[in-house]
Amino acid sequence: MSFNMNKSDRILLECDNVSKQYGFFFALNKISFNVKENTILGIVGANGAGKTTLIKILSGLRSPTSGKVLISGMNYKDNNRDIKRLIGTISSKSFLYEELSIYENLKFYSKLYSVYEKHEFKEKIEQYADKFNLSDWIFEPISYLSTGMKQKVEIIRILIHNPSILLLDEPFSGLDFNSIKLLIKILNDLRENENLTIILTTHKIEVIQQICDAILILKRGKINKFVPKTEMNKIKIESYF
Amino acid sequence: MRDKKTSNKSNLKLFVTILQKDIKTEIRQVNDIFSVILFGIISIFIFSSSYNTINLGSSMPIEIFVTQIWLIIFFTLIFIMIKLFVQEKERGTLDGLATSPVSKNILLTSKIVFCFILLSFIELILILFSFFISIPSTQALNHIEILYYILLGIVLPTLDLSVCGTLVSALSMYSKNKSFVLPLLLFPIILPITSPIISLNIKLLEGELLSLVLMEILFVVAHAILMFSILILVSEELLSE
Repeated sequence: MSFNMNKSDRILLECDNVSKQYGFFFALNKISFNVKENTILGIVGANGAGKTTLIKILSGLRSPTSGKVLISGMNYKDNNRDIKRLIGTISSKSFLYEELSIYENLKFYSKLYSVYEKHEFKEKIEQYADKFNLSDWIFEPISYLSTGMKQKVEIIRILIHNPSILLLDEPFSGLDFNSIKLLIKILNDLRENENLTIILTTHKIEVIQQICDAILILKRGKINKFVPKTEMNKIKIESYF
Repeated sequence: MRDKKTSNKSNLKLFVTILQKDIKTEIRQVNDIFSVILFGIISIFIFSSSYNTINLGSSMPIEIFVTQIWLIIFFTLIFIMIKLFVQEKERGTLDGLATSPVSKNILLTSKIVFCFILLSFIELILILFSFFISIPSTQALNHIEILYYILLGIVLPTLDLSVCGTLVSALSMYSKNKSFVLPLLLFPIILPITSPIISLNIKLLEGELLSLVLMEILFVVAHAILMFSILILVSEELLSE
């Protein structure tokens, strides 16, 4: 299953017959799909459908029991560090250190990816903070921020090392209406201006219809339906959960 | 050759970055460390006052002094172990490190050094306090003997305990009942070194020659190397779910 609604034809992510088994239980069962450059793929499904497991496997946090994942033609086993430089992951749990400030968190993560010279950190972080309206809070600890602001910092955290693919697990959860609107705008901008490929999971069907080029509906660890943009308004997505 | 040098330099940078982050985070939650120090001080106080009540103020024999100190240090280690991997796992920040291009060996080594720094800091306060409160019946040691006591009697065992603590913390982070599993796993791992550490301390405080403590030193060094080797060998499995 492959899709591309945009300019490039280059396959950035390949998921080939990926299964994840816990004992006798299949969290994912022979999942196969490709994602081309500069697209947004939404993954939906009921609780326990395997969305988070799939994101964890794509981000290298878990290994599949069988099957393979190729990112830019590379696999995790042989090119672990190279692949991780290409990916930015947001999980349902925050990766930010509550005791550290926005600046300290972003500096820490950008140092892990070794992308900037010493003098560039501050400038780059300030640029992003300005873009996301966080300049006044940059030296405040994460624990002082609201959920929406924390999510903005998470977005900056994954953008700071210039990745090609964003993997977002439930990025809209806990956000109010305005924050969701803002995040949709940010994701659209990223696709348009930064040519990023985005894979996200969510329960918010109305949101996913607004921004995704295609939707993958998971049911009990299997792909139940693949919905391209053209069909999104014609079918009732929830009925495939 | 140059590639190897560059790689070593960047690994060292990553190691320092993670270590700095851990220290900074710890300083911001200084209450946790205070509570551990308070636990140690109260324990020393109870030991000393009980001994004084029974022995009517006579100075404490070195054997009892050393045993009380190391018993308290072993318990302190359990508090510190929670800070290494368990807390990072529960907060979700460990996944942030796992999705970044940092090798697992660098992560483990930085945690060992962090554990060593934290444990050494607590030991410094506890040992000074106990010398003042318990007044052990040590003979006057010269500068060299004091140096031997600090390096071989305190620093070396602390390094070994830090390796053991990191191993146990990493082993137990995925367990559901961590507070039960942590001490249960730690006990068999540190049991073989408790006697050599205590014997080493007693002999060094009695001013014995280095040749007479060689067996204990070799035992502690061998144990540290063995635990470190196990930690590195199983690092891939330890840090993957």
